[in-house]
Order: sequence, then C-alpha cells, then structure tokens
Amino acid sequence: MKRLTSLPTLRVDVGRPVPFVYKNQTGRGFKGDTIATALYAAGVRIFSRSLKYHRPRGLFSLDGESSNTMMTVNGVPNVRTETTLLAEGAMIRDQNAIFTARNDLLGFMDRLDRFMPAGFYYETMHKPASLWPVAAKMVRKAAGLGRIAPDFRFSGACDEMYPAADLCVIGGGPAGMEAALAAADQGLRVILLEARPWLGGSFDYRERGSGEDAPLYRQAADLASRVSTRAAIRVFTRTAMVGGYSDNLVTAVTEGGPDDPFDYRYLEMRPRAVVVATGSRERPLIFENNERPGVMLPDCALRLARTYGILAGREAVFSVGHDLGLEAALDLSELGLPVRAVADVRTKGHDPALVRGLADRRIPFYPGWAAAAVEGKKGVKSVRLASCDGGQYRILTCDLLAAAAGHTPAVEPLSLFCGPLAYDGQTGYFLPRTYPAGVFAAGRIYGLEAPQNIRISGRVAGLDAAAFCGADCRGAADAHRNELAALPMGRPASKWVAFPGPWRKHFVDFDEDVTGKHIRQAVGRGFGVPELIKRFTAAGTGPGQGGISGHNLPLLVAAIKNPSRDRTDIHGTVPAPTTVRPPLRPVFLAAYAGSGREMVKRTPVHDAQAWEGAVFRRVGVWHRARYFSADLDVSEEVDNVRTNVGMLDASTLGCFRIFGPDALSALQRVYAGDMSKIKDGRVKYAAMCNHDGCVIDDGVVIRIGENDYMFTTSTGRAGETVEWIRYHTRFDNWDFHLVNQTDGTGVINLAGPRARDVLERVTDADVSNQAFSFGCWKDFSLSGGIPVRCLRLGFVGELSFELNIPASYMQAAWDMLRKAGSGFGLRPFGVEAQNILRLEKGHVILGQESEQRTNLLDLNMGFLFSRDKDIRPVGADALLQAEKDAGRLTLVGIRMTDSSCVPPDGSILVDDQVVDPVIGYVGTIRKSRALDAVVGMALVERAWTAEGTRLAVYDGGGEPSERHDATVVRMPFYDPEGIRMRM
Amino acid sequence: MFGAKHILPKGNPPLESAYDAVLIGGGLHNLATAWFLAKEHNMNRVAVLEKNYIGYGGAGRNTAIVRANQRTQKNIPLYKEALDLWPVLTRELDFNLMFYNCGNLNLLHSEAAVKAARTNIATAKFLGVESHLLDAAETAKRVPALNLSQKITHPIHGAMYHPPGGIVRHDAVVWGLAKGAAEKGVHIHQQTEALGIATKNGRVTGVKTPAGTIYTPRVLVSAGGYTAGLLYHMLKIKMPISVLTIQAMVTQPLKPLLDHVVSSGAYHVYANQTLKGEIATGAHMDPWPNYTTQTTAGYIKHQAEALVELMPCLAGVKFMRSWAGLADMTPDMAPIMDGNDPVEGVYMNCGWGYFGFKSCSATGRYMARFLATGKCPDRLKPFALARFKNHRLMGETAALVNYTPDN
Ligand SMILES: Cc1cc2nc3c(=O)[nH]c(=O)nc-3n(C[C@H](O)[C@H](O)[C@H](O)COP(=O)(O)OP(=O)(O)OC[C@H]3O[C@@H](n4cnc5c(N)ncnc54)[C@H](O)[C@@H]3O)c2cc1C
Repeated sequence: MKRLTSLPTLRVDVGRPVPFVYKNQTGRGFKGDTIATALYAAGVRIFSRSLKYHRPRGLFSLDGESSNTMMTVNGVPNVRTETTLLAEGAMIRDQNAIFTARNDLLGFMDRLDRFMPAGFYYETMHKPASLWPVAAKMVRKAAGLGRIAPDFRFSGACDEMYPAADLCVIGGGPAGMEAALAAADQGLRVILLEARPWLGGSFDYRERGSGEDAPLYRQAADLASRVSTRAAIRVFTRTAMVGGYSDNLVTAVTEGGPDDPFDYRYLEMRPRAVVVATGSRERPLIFENNERPGVMLPDCALRLARTYGILAGREAVFSVGHDLGLEAALDLSELGLPVRAVADVRTKGHDPALVRGLADRRIPFYPGWAAAAVEGKKGVKSVRLASCDGGQYRILTCDLLAAAAGHTPAVEPLSLFCGPLAYDGQTGYFLPRTYPAGVFAAGRIYGLEAPQNIRISGRVAGLDAAAFCGADCRGAADAHRNELAALPMGRPASKWVAFPGPWRKHFVDFDEDVTGKHIRQAVGRGFGVPELIKRFTAAGTGPGQGGISGHNLPLLVAAIKNPSRDRTDIHGTVPAPTTVRPPLRPVFLAAYAGSGREMVKRTPVHDAQAWEGAVFRRVGVWHRARYFSADLDVSEEVDNVRTNVGMLDASTLGCFRIFGPDALSALQRVYAGDMSKIKDGRVKYAAMCNHDGCVIDDGVVIRIGENDYMFTTSTGRAGETVEWIRYHTRFDNWDFHLVNQTDGTGVINLAGPRARDVLERVTDADVSNQAFSFGCWKDFSLSGGIPVRCLRLGFVGELSFELNIPASYMQAAWDMLRKAGSGFGLRPFGVEAQNILRLEKGHVILGQESEQRTNLLDLNMGFLFSRDKDIRPVGADALLQAEKDAGRLTLVGIRMTDSSCVPPDGSILVDDQVVDPVIGYVGTIRKSRALDAVVGMALVERAWTAEGTRLAVYDGGGEPSERHDATVVRMPFYDPEGIRMRM
Repeated sequence: MFGAKHILPKGNPPLESAYDAVLIGGGLHNLATAWFLAKEHNMNRVAVLEKNYIGYGGAGRNTAIVRANQRTQKNIPLYKEALDLWPVLTRELDFNLMFYNCGNLNLLHSEAAVKAARTNIATAKFLGVESHLLDAAETAKRVPALNLSQKITHPIHGAMYHPPGGIVRHDAVVWGLAKGAAEKGVHIHQQTEALGIATKNGRVTGVKTPAGTIYTPRVLVSAGGYTAGLLYHMLKIKMPISVLTIQAMVTQPLKPLLDHVVSSGAYHVYANQTLKGEIATGAHMDPWPNYTTQTTAGYIKHQAEALVELMPCLAGVKFMRSWAGLADMTPDMAPIMDGNDPVEGVYMNCGWGYFGFKSCSATGRYMARFLATGKCPDRLKPFALARFKNHRLMGETAALVNYTPDN
C-alpha cells in the first residue's frame, strides 16, 4: 500500500524501512510503525481468531483495548501488536487458530453459538459424571490464547527506577502538558508519563482547531517542546501507568526504544500530588457483527491516516455519536477516503461547522441514525444503517465502517486512586465520587471537548496540585477555574445503547466473545449487578480487561432491566460500573521482576568457607555452610569434632546489647527465667516464650557491666527481636537501649577435645579449665590484638570456645585459627554436623524439635522458667496453666531397635489402638557413630513418654502398615554426665 | 436443552418476620450450610443475609485451590470429606462445579522443608489420603517449566505431591449452592445487612436488619473476614483473629502450561492454570492486620520476581488483573467452629483465613447438623473457641504464627 507521505502529522519515517517476517513471508514497515500498522499497511486485515467462536478479528483501536491484534512475536505469545513498535526482523505469527487466522479450521465454532449461552459450562458437561474429566481436558486445550514453551527464555533487559517528584502527571496530551507546565512554573518537580511514543494526545493527529487558533497538532508540538525543554519536568514516553495505590503510589512501565539500554523498565514513585489527564476513548457501538475486520473506531481510522499515512479502506461509512467522529469522517474524506455516508445517533447538538463541512463535500449525513448490522464474513461488504426509531434503513456497500457510540473517558487510572465510580447523568460517564487529597484530573476525562477548555482545565489542575504542595497559587488556580466556567461546556455524550433485537452477534466484549444476548441471558438467570454478570459471562475478564466492555456492559444491563430505553435507571438504580483493577495494561512478569536481585547476607568468612568446599544453604536471610563434603552424612566432620577439633561459623546468630536503668526489667519481661540471677563472668542459658508458652527463642545472656547486658538469639529470630522487646514493654515507659549487633559480630565456635590446644596458640590469655571453666565468659585478645569475647558453651557436647569477634577481624581470626590448628587436625564443620553432634547431646533446635503445640515445659526445659519473678514474663500464664494439663506433646529421646534403620526426619509415630492414632512425630533422627546406634528426638503425646515405651514409626514411604520399631530412651545419649564439655 | 431457569432468584424474596435459622453472610460456608439444612434436615425456613451480593467476599476472590493434605489428624478427615464432596455436589446441585483434579505440588526448598513435608505425607497416607514425596527430577518431570538450577534463591529439593487435589470453579460453587438452596425454599437476601443480634437471658431471639428485626432461635455468623468484628460488635465475643489482606492475580490466558497446582512456601508463591488458561497466582498475606481489599505495588512485583525465578518461561507472560480479599487468621491456622457458647443459639464458623474455600462443603454439612440438632458433631469439637483459652493450639502449621504489630 502506498502511504500518505506529506502529512505534517506523520509519525513514521517513510525513508527508513524496517523489515519483518509474517508467516514466513517478509514484509516491510517503516520506522515509527507499530507491528499492527505495518501489517495493516501490508494488507493484513485478519489479525487473530477470537477465543470461543474463532471469529476473525482485525484492527479495531490503536491502544490495545482488546485482544484483537494479539499475536506471537519472536516466540512471545499475546503481544499487543497495536502498541508494540515494529523492530527490525520481528517474527510475527497468528495465534489461537488451526492453520491461520485468515483460514481457521475452527471457524465453524461461530455457528455453534446457540449451544454456548452465557455461562453454558456451568450447566453442561457434568452429566454423566465420567464426561467431565474428559471435557475438562478439552476445555483446557480450547481455552487460552497463545502458547509459551516451558523452556522459553526472555531475552530482553529489564530495569527498575524509583524516581522522586512533587507531581506526577499521567497523560501527555494537551491537558497533561498544561498541567505539568503550570506546576513547574510554581517550582514543582514534575514527572510526566505518556504511554505513546510521543506527547500530544488527541491534538497530535488533528489538523482542525477552533476558530483562529493554530492547528491542534501545532499546538501540541509547541506544548511538547516547552515541556521537553523544562528542566523541572521529566518526560517519560512509551510509559504506561499500570498501577495506582493509596497515598499516591504510582507504578508504570516503559517500553524501551531502539536507543534505550533496556527493553522494559519498571517505575515506582510516590509523588505528593497526581494529575490524571488520560483523556477519553471512543465507546464501541453495539450492532450486529460489530467486530468484523473492517469495523474500527473512527479515531483509529483517523490516526491510521494522519499518524501512519494509511488509508484504512477504499470506501467508508461512518456511524458516530460525537463530534470527533464527524471530524474524523470529514478529515479522512479530505485526505482521499471516499465516505459514502455518516450516521450520528444524536438528533441535535452537532458542531454546525462539521455538519456544513460534510454537506460541502456532499457526504450524506443521517442524524438520529446508527449502524445496525454489517454483512461480510472475513471483512465488511456492506453496512445497514437505520434510524434510531427503527422506522427506516438503508444498505450501503463499503469495506470500512468507522463506528462508535460516543466517548468514554479513560477513567481507569483515576478510579485506582478514587475508588468506586458513579454514573454521571450529565456526561453519561462513570466518574469518581470523591477525590482523595492530592489527586486531580484534567481534560477530556471530564467530558471537555473544545481544545481551549481542555488546555485551561490542565492549567487549573497543575495549579491546584501546586497549591496542594504548598505553592502560593490558589488565586491563579481560581482565576483559570472561572475562565473555564465562563466557556461553553461540552455537549452531553450520547447515551445510545443498541437497537432492540436478540443481540446474537452484537459483541459487548471481544476477548471473551460476549454478546448482548449473553448479557440478557445472565440478567434472565438472576444475575442482577454488572459485577456478577461480568463473572458469569466473563465480559471484561480477558486480556483487554474492561477496555471494550467497561462502559457498555453497565449501560446494557440497565437497558435490559429497563423496558423504556431512553431512561437508563430502573427502580431508582442507575448503571453501576464494575471495579477497575491493576495492572491497567498487561505487564510482562519480566518487567515487574525488574533487575532480579537476590537479597541475601553472607557472613564475614563466607568466601573462606567456600574455598574449603562448603555447600551453602539459605537460612532466613543468610547463607550458611551446611556441608563441607559431598557426603551428606558428614561423618568425617562429626568424627573430627569428637576426636580432634572443628570450627563452625556461627556469625548468623543474633547478637544484642541492651543497657540502661531498665535493661534488666526488659529482659525479665521477655525471658522466662530470672535474669537478676546472672552471675558475673557466668553465662546464662535462657528462653523466650510467646503468650501460649511456646518457646520462640533460646540463647544466652551475660552481664557485661552495670545495667549492661549482651544476649544472643537464634539465626531466624534476630530480625524480630528488637520489635518483640519493644512490643512487650510498650506500656512500661522503661528506659533502656537495645542495639542489634548481629551484622557487626562474627562468631567462631571452636569445639573438640583439642580446642584449647588450638586456642592457646593464638592467645596469651589463660584459657585453662581452672582460669576459664565451663559456663564462663571472658574478654581477651588473640595475637595481633584481635579483641574477642569468648563464651565456654557446650552445644555440640565437647570442650568449646565460642569466640565473638568484630566482623572486620573475622577473616584474620579464621585464618589464624586455621593455621594454629593444622597440627591438631582442625577443620571446619557445617550446620549438618552440628545438627548431629547436638542431637547426640539431646540439645533442642527450635523449630526442629519444637512447634506451635509445644511449650517450654513440653521440651523438658521447665528449669528455664522462673515462677516467682516480680516481673511476669510473657507466657507465664500459659506455662502455669500447662503444668496441670496432662495431654500435651512432649519431647522424648528414641532409639531404633534395628540400628541399620534410619527413618527420615518427620516420620510419624502411630498407635492403632487409640482414637487418634497419630501420636507424634520424629524431629531429628540420625545414625550416631559415637554411640553406634540410631537415635533421635521426637514429640509424642504424654501417654507414650515413659522410658522403655515401644513406638511404631511410619515414614510415609510405603504402606501405612510398614512400621519400624523404636523405644523411648533417656537423654542425653552422648556423655550423659557432661564431662567432655567441662574438660 | 437450556431451561431458562433462574440460577439466582430474581430480586429478593420477601423478608419474613421469623425464620428457623438466620445465617449472616452470603459466602460459601453459609450457602453450603443453608443447602444442607434444607436437604438433610428438612429445615428450609432459613434466611441467608448478605450485605452486598453473594460471593462478594472471599467466596468470589479466592484462587479455588482444593486439597486434603493438611498437617494434623484433626484436620485431614474434614478436608478429605470436603474434597470427596465436589462430584457429589455437582450431581446433587445439577451444576458443574468444574472440579479439575490436577493434583497439587508443594515445592520443597530445604532439608527442613522436606522433613516438614514428610510429617504431612505420612499423616495423610496413614489416614487414607494420597500424598507422595518427589525428588527434584520427578518434580520437574511433572512441571517442565520449573527451574532446577542450584543457583536460584531457593533451589528445589523436591515436592510433596498430592494427586487428589486440584481446583474448583469458585463462582460455580457460590451460584450452585445458592441455586440449590433457593430451590429448596431458602431465602437469600442480598443487599441486606445484619445490623445486630438480639438476645434475651443468654439466648438469641432475632437478627436486626434495616427492614426490622427477624425473629429466630438460631443465628450462624459466618461472614468470612468480617465475622470476628461482627461477633465482637454485636455480642462482645472476643475472637483471637487477625484480619489481613491477601492478594491474588492472573496472567493473560495461555494454552496449557501448568498441569498441577504448584506452590512454594520459600518463595511465598503458588500458581495454577485455570480452565480458562490464566495462570492464577497468590501468596502470603500483607504482613499487618488490615481490613482493606486494596492491592499493593510491592505484592505484584514480588509475585513476578518469585515466579520468574521458579519458572523462567513466565517472564514472557503478562499479568492482567490483580485483586485482594480478607483472610481471618487464627493463631494456629485452623478455623473456629462453635455454637451455644456463650450465647445459646448463636453459632460461629470463621477463622478460615486463606484456606476456607476447599473446606466449605464439609463444614457446611457439619454446621447444618450442629444447627439442626443443637449438638456439636464430633468432627467439629476440636475447633472450639475454648482451645485458645487453654493454650492448646491445633498445630495446623508447625511454625509459631503471629500477626500482632510486633511481627
Ligand atoms: C485472594 C484469596 C485467595 C484465596 N485462595 C484460597 C484457595 O486457593 N483455597 C482455599 O481453600 N481458600 C482460599 N481463600 C479463602 C477463602 O476464600 C475464604 O476462606 C472463604 O471464602 C471464606 O468463607 P466464606 O466464603 O463463607 O466467606 P466470604 O465469602 O468471605 O463471605 C462473607 C460475606 O459476608 C458478608 N457480610 C459481611 N458483613 C455482613 C453483615 N453484617 N451482614 C450480612 N452480610 C455480611 C460479606 O459481604 C461477604 O459476602 C482465599 C481467599 C482470598 C481472599
């Protein structure tokens, strides 16, 4: 097709061809084309097949309101080709058709519509019952547009940006640009978002102005250049707002252009004020076959010509309900498109200049008429126009029908901020009832049509936003407001719904093939409100969401419920719109995911351990070394701690300092035990409970000075501990400071019979058992002056020194110990080895041997609870109550009868003789080399806790009858007297 | 072939001055209760009061996942009965509830998760509910889109596979139950808010509505996320319930890609493909108590980040719509079903959080029995409110759950 090349409004560069491949044939568009415009220019009329009826679908609008032009591009399904710029070498395919969209073997589905009434799937395919599983598979295959391969990989680059601004203007048309300029004049930093590749909105492609003014496209260009050169205004084109949330949070996605370093960029910002100036679209006209290829919105036909240089047909008929429609007809006629007739549902209120223009060009004009039907299977052959009272009709041949019922405001962004919309009788629009603070609107979204009004309303909104942000400009805003009020208002939009009839092929929603008939059926079945009808018929739930049906569905429902069609309200109810939900445009998951950072913490000796072959696992926010060999039984690591010495990186444990006059009170509140009993130089093991007495954390507390304490928490709890203490002391007005030192503190646990030998090599301090015995702590330094706080603990059951070291010294300390230990067989061990070692000692790991049903007493840790402190700790009530409660899960040690049988952790304990046969489960169980037995810890109901009780273990692998035998035994299993850790 | 019978009654039935039972809330649980009251107990002078329209609450917002592989023996049988009821209800209601039995895969991303799954699997199997442990390779065979790389945030160790589960069309359940109940004479009053519960001497006497008081000896409050608030404001009954917002979203429809419901605790995400082809996905709740049904920017982004890592091909798919509903959470992730305590004739069924769709059929049946006989069925006894007073949580989740602001 030859393009119109001399238009001043053209946005394609006809000197720069862009090749593409469509169904194995090469074609060529131009720089600036979207995929859809390039295809249209190449003669493609059928872009896709519809979801249910496989009807041919073509270009209907240019902003992606429906799935009509969704295609597969470079392997990516469901690309909205009407908004996607044509890129060099794009591989374009149809979808949802057998063979091609043009010749789809499933086209016969269109004739089966009477078997598919609204919601038919709810009342079919379930009888007999055996039919449904088969039918479900077929439904699945038939449904869905586009296919994505499981091994598809997204190749684009995705970026994120979190810009700051005082004002975000959404929509770069004349109103939005005026708003941005007015606000910038008042000193605001402004961000302007525009979905199209250029600014200008509805002015960009229009020649006509009002009266003496410059042509609209020139006004747009002038505004655009002022906006683009203002430093205070940042313009983002190709950037569609997709989300609006409370307190003015705005999200948007930019599609990268050829010169951008990204393909998609996610934007998120929280400006102080928002101006929504997204203009209006055309409301689709409902008539028979209203979505045939060859039927399009008048604005679409106009933009095809003026922006892309494409005349959409050879002979056109127009059916409109708005002046812009008349303008499009006139303009296209002047550009060389033969227009056979123009119908307008309005009987009065047309712009007289436009009507005169039509007369001058001898275009028959039918006020009070509308399109009633289109003939033609794969395109438009003829159109039937009829008078709205139904009295007369005329059939006209043509290949293009430009049809719209009128306007519909692009109110979706506004509704995300303003909540439910209400029907406005004046404009016939759905508009916000209230505006939250800092949210303003401008332009055609209100129903303004005259260019002058649109521009002034933008200024008003910009100044209002500036005043909201504190600028002294209320007077100026009011002056413009008065100026606007003095100008003639826009004419009420047409409220035309449709000719009476069965509406069998009158499409309300294209994506889901929903017709007027379906809506009527839904109402007939008792679905009274549009929100329910939407669900029952699926109208507005497809890829275009409410883009096509949003306005018409509620009107149609009102009309169906109302016998007289010029009144849209019945029983006092007015059309109720459905809820708009983000994202306002479909957004690639890749674009939302953005740069895909992984947030993780590494300990100061992460690399050192990696170098020694550590296998890391994520534990909460941390990476921890779990294994130091491929042997997941870690027997060498375990043996080495028992016979020589090992070192464990325990830096992830929470480390806190609490100090101040009421520090002790705060500790008393959160710890079950009595923290006033902490002896100088001694370590106190302690537990925190929740209100149910469940242990939420355990660790140690030491007193490091007057009113000054240090305590540790488990890895997982470190993050919550400050909040926990703050919350549980919130009414006390206590004076203390709490500092989370976790990230600044590294911990090495040096454990094993040779631990002292190693330590003595790196410090001058006296670490002998006499000077530094079990359960004590001490500050000293390692060679070279590395300060350490050393705690003598025994979690793994051997002589252990837990060295707390400033994080910045950790690497040095690690290396020093490593070297000093080489003669003693020192090697690192991981969390799994620790797991086995502490299991042999019967030491509990919270979450592994405890859960929400177990409290401190159930874990045999009642000794950590002090009943008579003057400050009642959290959980005390529950613990006191539980002392009298016999039926609780309790921790026991178990030993497998068969020492070659190691059931997996989590296996359950069962007894068929009782009503509730699952009597407990295994927390951790391992083959212990030190004991030459399989031992574990389990939670069982109280009745099975006596030593010697036989238990049946079921691991969930085989049949429930396949059990393993175990016996309840005393803990600890290893070194019951605790001699080895006291060495 | 298609009788133009009503599914929902056209307009509201007349509001009578007395009913045998009044059910507050037009969600799944009450509609199911109404159906079983009428069907199994011949009690059809029953009113369901719904403030908006039926299915307005969680009933119309959930992601329709059904399964029976719960954690404890008190829960599993109830969920199993519920699962077994879908085909039965489809037949009895003569309405296709579209139970799609695709099975559920819970991805496991650590040794600890495998252990936790083991307990669930063993318990389920022991009680006759099919459930298996799969290794990573077997898992990927079932869901080829999964990312088996070790380099992702939470590498996949395997999965808990539960073949009997799947998805059901949630709207169909709402409408089918409403249709069935209405056909049996139950009055469903939409746009009718319960304003208060009238009592006398510790007994219920009626329910206040904008159209006056309805007299009744039985009231069941089961209004999803609103229940705890209603019980407190109407009767000063305090419930240990935190209400949180939970969001969900769908992608554009695709040809079949996911053959199972896939969920991942570590990534806080689950996804399944609806019969329409959309990938429906949701996850954890917003982390603070809240009565809003607004969505948030962070959530949809998180979903995308998680899904793209777990199933990289989804990067090339688009999100199309997101929404939010309320989850009424108890401290032990098990519901509260109780009655006649502290007020004679007042029943409650709530705390269903984000898992109350799958159970509605069975609970409706038991609650109907409870209302009809006045005696709590054994199956429901463990779910009494008093368990919290006694610090005896049910252990439906192993973790300690906390929704207060200290969380
Ligand atoms: C996003 C999301 C995803 C979910 N996904 C799943 C899932 O996959 N699987 C699953 O099993 N569960 C899921 N759930 C949970 C499930 O939806 C709910 O647990 C369940 O719907 C709640 O029970 P209901 O249907 O009876 O209540 P709701 O549907 O919540 O009904 C409550 C009704 O009470 C009405 N009401 C409130 N106050 C009054 C009053 N004063 N008078 C009259 N009426 C009143 C409300 O308008 C509402 O319609 C999900 C929930 C959400 C929000």
